[in-house]
Amino acid sequence: MIDVYWQLDPAAEPWRGEPALRPSLPELVRDLRRPTQNRYDFYAQVATAAEQTGFDGLFVAHRRQSDDSRIIAAALAREVPRLRLLAEFPASVGSAVYAAKQATTFQRGAQGRLEWAIAPDADAPTRAAEGDFVADEDLAERKAEFLTVARGVHGTPGFTFKGKHFEVENGGFTDPLTRGAFPLVVLQGSSEEDLEVSARLAHLHLFDTRSSAQLASLIEGLDALANAAGRRVGFGLHQPVLARQTSAEAERDFARSTLPETTLVGSFDEVAESLAQLVSLGLDRLVLSADQQLEGAYALGQHLLPRLRARLSVTPRAAA
Amino acid sequence: MSTEFYWRLPTHGCHSSIRRHSIDRGDWSATDAHHIAPGLDAAGQSDGHSYIDHLAQIAKAAESVGFLGGLIPSFPNTDDPWVISPLLARETKAFRFMIAYQPGFGNPVHFARASASLQRATGGRSLFNIITGGGGHAQLWWGDSFDHDDRYGRTSEWLDVFRGVWQNEDFSYNGRFYQVENGGLPAHFRTEEFPDLWFSGSSEAALQVAARHADYYLSWLEPFDQLADKFARVKARTAALGGEQKVSVRVDLVARKTEEEAWADVRQGFENVAERTREQWRGNRGDSVGAARLASLKPTEARHWEDLIIAPNLWSGFSLLRGGPAIGIVGSYEQCAERLDDLIRLGANGFILAGTPHLEEAWRVGEEVLPLLGHQAGALLEAAE
Repeated sequence: MIDVYWQLDPAAEPWRGEPALRPSLPELVRDLRRPTQNRYDFYAQVATAAEQTGFDGLFVAHRRQSDDSRIIAAALAREVPRLRLLAEFPASVGSAVYAAKQATTFQRGAQGRLEWAIAPDADAPTRAAEGDFVADEDLAERKAEFLTVARGVHGTPGFTFKGKHFEVENGGFTDPLTRGAFPLVVLQGSSEEDLEVSARLAHLHLFDTRSSAQLASLIEGLDALANAAGRRVGFGLHQPVLARQTSAEAERDFARSTLPETTLVGSFDEVAESLAQLVSLGLDRLVLSADQQLEGAYALGQHLLPRLRARLSVTPRAAA
Repeated sequence: MSTEFYWRLPTHGCHSSIRRHSIDRGDWSATDAHHIAPGLDAAGQSDGHSYIDHLAQIAKAAESVGFLGGLIPSFPNTDDPWVISPLLARETKAFRFMIAYQPGFGNPVHFARASASLQRATGGRSLFNIITGGGGHAQLWWGDSFDHDDRYGRTSEWLDVFRGVWQNEDFSYNGRFYQVENGGLPAHFRTEEFPDLWFSGSSEAALQVAARHADYYLSWLEPFDQLADKFARVKARTAALGGEQKVSVRVDLVARKTEEEAWADVRQGFENVAERTREQWRGNRGDSVGAARLASLKPTEARHWEDLIIAPNLWSGFSLLRGGPAIGIVGSYEQCAERLDDLIRLGANGFILAGTPHLEEAWRVGEEVLPLLGHQAGALLEAAE
């Protein structure tokens, strides 16, 4: 059975829970909200919604104009005791040793539910604004070194590494820090370089929405690269969805939304069928997103997931 | 002017008594029937608790008795303060998370956004203890190969950028270690309160950077005359830059109803120190000047616990009982309060207090010692004015 994750986008619906941006109430309405009520209460509602409606995990997207994904994930971890937490961040955050060390505490405090998604690299001006001057042609190497060092210090006593971007001497964590597993590593992108790094270092590769034919060919290509490296890489698909009771309602709401053209639009049955077909291409995981993060979790968790799981349990995955 | 009192979250497990040295809270030693967080259930299996559950208890104790928050130390084999803080953010009400952090370990723009995110998650309850590293072997373990004085230069630039992107919509910087082009946090992040910076370090390079960046200069407890000199030097340096330096002290207490009871606990703790522990503490100290200043006291050479009494109520053997600074305060509740009052008279504006076990001692110090502070009335009030 595949895992289905829900996306929390910290920058989407920016007014919800945000004291400075939420709709103000007229004086007529007695308002006793406190300053301690804030955006994180909204994040917590979305996460709890995902947990209560049967999602397996929460994908916390990297958005440079909003809250840091690993801070959000940690702030929610003790409130949603079951959800796995896939936090997306770029390989430019700094020391790989420090990132790996932070992960050990997260795993120890949250029963091993942290997963890492390395965000696609931003363009050069954006990177410069973030104090990151690694050249375009070195980005794939930096990502690979970051992951090599992070995994190395987690599991290898006396770990030593000297690369272009990171250097460690006689490093490596000791018990009890290593009792939790190193986070599952999710990588993204569809360039040759991206796939090559994933073949060596990803546990799971998350593709963006695309046609079935393109997806099938990317999966086949990465599977071959991973096999050549003696590894197996899982496959995921990041898919925006708009599903309603009827396809007419879905079409109407899609016309009003800001969702991308690649969104799967239709009735719960239609969307479940489309997703089941995509899964049959060899997917291990879906990351679903919608324009309304809270309401979408309920609508899809209650009405789409049962239909999808029913289809998948009678139609086992073709490729395996 | 009021004085800031913080407690400490022990990030390497905790002992259930200052008299014994086994870490029986947390999983830094093998879990037996006496352990908690995790402990064993009736079937001898882990009871499902993890150490963060115990840290949550300490944080809630500290905020209940009136501590502003707690220092969360960071060393190679500790849990990490950047993760502990958000894990506990939503179940604490007032506790301020003082994150010990070596600036060189992260991209300053990214960490500014993460820090502002934490301020948003906690309602402005985070701050930093900026450290620049004991150096030597440990820095390479962290993946950091900078020289001692270079590291302070880097800390200074890191803080320039950290503050720069927080306080400017369009921030550029061209330093030796860091460059930024047209950076700046999102508008609704820049309105978050910039976190207080508590700053440690005893070397010349450290004092220079502290003068430029520190809200509170933080020192371990030293003999009072040495500490007064150190405070004077730090204040003079900051005054030369046109600022006024607040100073603070990190100190452990053994506070008991009577002085005899306090010394009895210290004596038992001392007599239970294994020779192996003494050997360990004699080991490599890296290139930290602060550690060297205290090491000259040589607690590891002492044969009798009384040899380590260096002034009334001051005992220099704490480093034998648990990791950390050597000198702490031992005495009755009244005496502990008097020694803290002495330090306030020497100019201390803030404290990080601690005691073992951290949970029960937070309640004890909060309920029995803090209420006695400032009672040597006249002189103290004058000093504060």
